[in-house]
Amino acid sequence: MARISIRHVEKRYDDVVALSDCNLEIGDHEFIVLVGPSGSGKTTLLRIIAGLEHVSGGELHFDDVPVGDVDVADRDIAMVFQNYGLYPHMSVYDNMAFGLRRRKLPSAQIDENVRRTARMLDIESLLARRPRQLSGGQRQRVALGRAIVRDPAVFLLDEPLSNLDAHLRVQMRAEILKVHRAVAATAVYVTHDQIEALTMGDRIAVMHDGRIHQVGTPAELYDAPIDRFVASFIGTPAMGFVDCRVAGSASAVELVADATRIRVSPKQAEALARAGGDRITVGIRPERLSMIAEAETERIDVAVRGSVEVVEMLGAELYVHLSTAGGSLTARVPREQHVKVGETVTFGANARDLHLFDHATGTALK
Amino acid sequence: MYWMVATSLKTELEAANLHPTPWPHVATLANYEGLFGESLPFALFFANTVGTCLATAVVAVVIATPAAYALSRARFRLRGAIAYGVLLFRMLPLVVLLAPLYLLLLDARLLDTRVGLVVGFTTFGLPFAIWMMKSFIDAVPIEVEEAARVDGYPRLQILMKVVAPLILPGLLTTGTFVFMEAWNNLIYPLTFVTTLERQTLPAALVLTFTGQFKTDWGGMMAAATLTTLPLMIAFFTVQRSIVRGLTSGALAGA
Repeated sequence: MARISIRHVEKRYDDVVALSDCNLEIGDHEFIVLVGPSGSGKTTLLRIIAGLEHVSGGELHFDDVPVGDVDVADRDIAMVFQNYGLYPHMSVYDNMAFGLRRRKLPSAQIDENVRRTARMLDIESLLARRPRQLSGGQRQRVALGRAIVRDPAVFLLDEPLSNLDAHLRVQMRAEILKVHRAVAATAVYVTHDQIEALTMGDRIAVMHDGRIHQVGTPAELYDAPIDRFVASFIGTPAMGFVDCRVAGSASAVELVADATRIRVSPKQAEALARAGGDRITVGIRPERLSMIAEAETERIDVAVRGSVEVVEMLGAELYVHLSTAGGSLTARVPREQHVKVGETVTFGANARDLHLFDHATGTALK
Repeated sequence: MYWMVATSLKTELEAANLHPTPWPHVATLANYEGLFGESLPFALFFANTVGTCLATAVVAVVIATPAAYALSRARFRLRGAIAYGVLLFRMLPLVVLLAPLYLLLLDARLLDTRVGLVVGFTTFGLPFAIWMMKSFIDAVPIEVEEAARVDGYPRLQILMKVVAPLILPGLLTTGTFVFMEAWNNLIYPLTFVTTLERQTLPAALVLTFTGQFKTDWGGMMAAATLTTLPLMIAFFTVQRSIVRGLTSGALAGA
């Protein structure tokens, strides 16, 4: 059990800035996910929390106590590594007992803890085996078991599912959440997979280029992304963007890009006025677009015309990739809809489903 | 190799024949008996060699392992320079170190002692051992060590409880190479040891069998066979672990 507070943390390797001004408050028993593309600094931040790396600037607190000078061994953390990092020369039992032996627990107690944890993860029958005799999924469980058997205050997971196949990954996702509910630890989970982030995190911190762009619940990130990066990173298929010109009168603002016409809501018009400028980037999520007939374009807030580039068939629905004058969009449509590659189609949406971003900086208009 | 064994089984006359015979016409073990006879303390030479070489292997590995660990894992400014500096020593010819070592051993009153010989052998074997151990340690996945750090273990214990067991084949291989090298070293024992009773086998062979007027070929070959035998046994026993050692990266947990 611990609250973790990351304050203005920076990390430099010689000239390379890996992290700059990272701030994050993690609550007790929270499950927080650090998500971002590779090279975004998420693993570095996790290793700083673990104590495997030192900060170049800023501070790290556990329960309001600075831990910058506290050694890994004394931080009361456990970690699951991307490649598991199991001890190859020890049995599963010894792998799990190794940390407990260091704490000089009586061997009866060690035995009880190891067996209880093994039961929980369903690896009791593997206790005598060596890591190389295990499958990927089994190794993953052992790595998990080795971490939770110590009952740590903080539980760190570095892309633990990235080496598993898709089916096993979904299964382990549920397993990890179950384990987290069963133990008292605060969990920090690193992944590059935004679906993992959305499905697992109480809150998510989206990272890019060594900075934390946005921290929020999965719904907050999905509904109100703070900038274009977060908007495009969270959600599958990704949000599409169209660059538009601001036109029309003050009372009826329109965004125009060739054959695309968008009538914004009064609230959005105010935001546009505050931001100024005559260029704007509009983001639309695929599920908010629906195909409309040419005649309907006048009645609806948003009408986007474009040619169909690719149609992806996903069983129940189709992903239609659309090329418009201002950029490309993806639409999710029911399978019954007939869409042919190459034809020009019109999609409609409601103004309230639009995300408006500053054309130059990419930050969301408020 | 065959010639050595064949000659060792020949009579003195046949061994010295100007037209060498491909196999002994009259096979005899007389040469071997002579080795263990009253005239030469062959068993003593043998014990001297095994003792000093074994001690050298153990000392070299014990010193090389932590040194290699530091060069492999620690991040400090002069790491590269030190690593290559160590290698540079290796490039010096054996004889270049002879005079300085002689003076050092003289000062330390270790001349003409077996301990002094171990010191001499070790100086030359160590750089090689360090580099070899370093490559074995490099192959151990860093995550395994980090897991041990998270589990609360200090560096020295990680080295002993996690790294050492993983590079055990490497330890054996390195030890064997150092052992073999020391065994074949001729010039150090000839220089540092003056008392015949403390001499090693290769040096003793040279000193005792090559006389001014006559060379006992049969006897010399018998002794050479017995000198080579342990080396071959050592090599073949660790051969499997050498192969395993060189591929020890495959031990990784992933």
